[in-house]
Amino acid sequence: MSNDPDKVWPTGLTLREAEEVHSYLIDGTRVFGVIALIAHVLVAVSTPWLG
Amino acid sequence: MSKYKRFALGKLAAIGPQWLPFADVASAEVPLSRLLRLSLFQMTVGMALVLMVGTLNRVIIVELKVPATLVAVMLALPLLFAPFRALIGFKSDTFRSVLGLRRLPYIFKGTMYQFGGFAIMPFALLVLSGYGEAVNAPRWIGLGAAALAFLLVGAGVHIVQTVGLALATDLVPEEDQPKVVGLMYVMLLVGMILSAFAYGALLETYSPGRLIQVIQGSAVVTIVLNGLAMWKQEARNRARAQAPQPVVRFADAWARLAARRGMMRLLAVIALGTAGFGMADVLLEPYGGQVLQMSVSQTTRLTVILALGSLVGFGLASRWLGRGGQPMLVAAVGAAVGVPAFLLVLASAVMGSVALLIGATLMAGFGAGLFGHGTLTATMRSAPRDQIGLSLGAWGAVQTTAAGVAIAIAGVIRDAMLLAPGAAANGAGPYVPVFALEAALLALALVVAWPLWHGRLDSRQDDASLNKRPTAGGPETLVTPKA
Repeated sequence: MSNDPDKVWPTGLTLREAEEVHSYLIDGTRVFGVIALIAHVLVAVSTPWLG
Repeated sequence: MSKYKRFALGKLAAIGPQWLPFADVASAEVPLSRLLRLSLFQMTVGMALVLMVGTLNRVIIVELKVPATLVAVMLALPLLFAPFRALIGFKSDTFRSVLGLRRLPYIFKGTMYQFGGFAIMPFALLVLSGYGEAVNAPRWIGLGAAALAFLLVGAGVHIVQTVGLALATDLVPEEDQPKVVGLMYVMLLVGMILSAFAYGALLETYSPGRLIQVIQGSAVVTIVLNGLAMWKQEARNRARAQAPQPVVRFADAWARLAARRGMMRLLAVIALGTAGFGMADVLLEPYGGQVLQMSVSQTTRLTVILALGSLVGFGLASRWLGRGGQPMLVAAVGAAVGVPAFLLVLASAVMGSVALLIGATLMAGFGAGLFGHGTLTATMRSAPRDQIGLSLGAWGAVQTTAAGVAIAIAGVIRDAMLLAPGAAANGAGPYVPVFALEAALLALALVVAWPLWHGRLDSRQDDASLNKRPTAGGPETLVTPKA
């Protein structure tokens, strides 16, 4: 791992840029995870599928 | 091992930037096709508005049998977010991204909220209405989930529209801005009309399964259209990415914007005019039905005529401003057309003439089109390059709040007059104060707008020549303002 913040990796991004792209991915996953959880709870309330 | 690694990296590098969602270079020339694609985000906004205010309003009350007042409160929730538009716009102006982006991340987040809201909305509504086993569930689950769904969609719409408009303003040079404003308004209307027809056809035979399909389908359409709209629109700005984090507080930025000559006056005009035109939106149909005994299909046509008038207004405003017209003059003409239009609406009841009401509706729509186009163009023109998001956020906050408050007030006045003893005898009675108030508000907007007509509004040209302020967003390389 290089410590040079301006080094452009073969992806065309520097380390910090790649980290920012990754942060959007993580944010999106978290939001969608929470949304899916809420949706499942609501469906389970109206039409229970467990027992 | 290292051979494979080199092979993989070589392949990765060869994929090249055409697969990345941002533009690598800022082109001076933005072709119309790209602007058309950008305006797709307005279609999803229109879709969300129709779904929430029109279609769901009916479905929740009629099919799901939820009390109308509860529905009204739920649908009003997103309005609470409207003032935050200014804050959202400010944040996107000063957003520090290593990638050198500032609009795209916000539109991504806004789209996600809108999607998430739509994803849970059908289940929240079913639980709220006590579908299936949900009858025995505690009440707060349905209430909380439905409120959350509407808040998410509302927040998403506010974010996407504010930042999307700011991005559009970033992209085009000043002389093309009227074209973009016209395009944005038209796409909003087109999105609303298309989705109204689509929802009407899809929900004709209602079933809970169909409701889930339709709302979640809207969620997918939102993601797809917004994705298409944003793809490769914003250029990466390396200079902005490497500039140090700006320390600008919202209060300071707001004070700077408010100190601009004519800005607060412009916002006041927008509030008055939007409120004036907005009251008619919900009351024209019941007015036609109750006072002039028009059938349901006829009153629906009234709304279509109102939209048609607006379309003509947008078109004319685009041409007029494109030829160098003053935006405030266009807006003033719009308000001036609106005053007699609403007086004619009242006259149509006295004369019992449906034709007159249709003509007046067309006029009101036309005036609203001119007024909306003129004020938005004026906002874009007067915004300093580094405060475009904040200015358009302020525009959106004032405009959305005024429209929402106007609709609420119009409904309250009408219902109060209906309840008053002796009002029922005269069919037009409850509507008279509302339409008179509309005409009065528009006249007031004209008075307030008077000093702005002759260009007494700080424009960006003044900035470039008079006071070279350090820009908060770092050196601008995206589009240099024409000096």
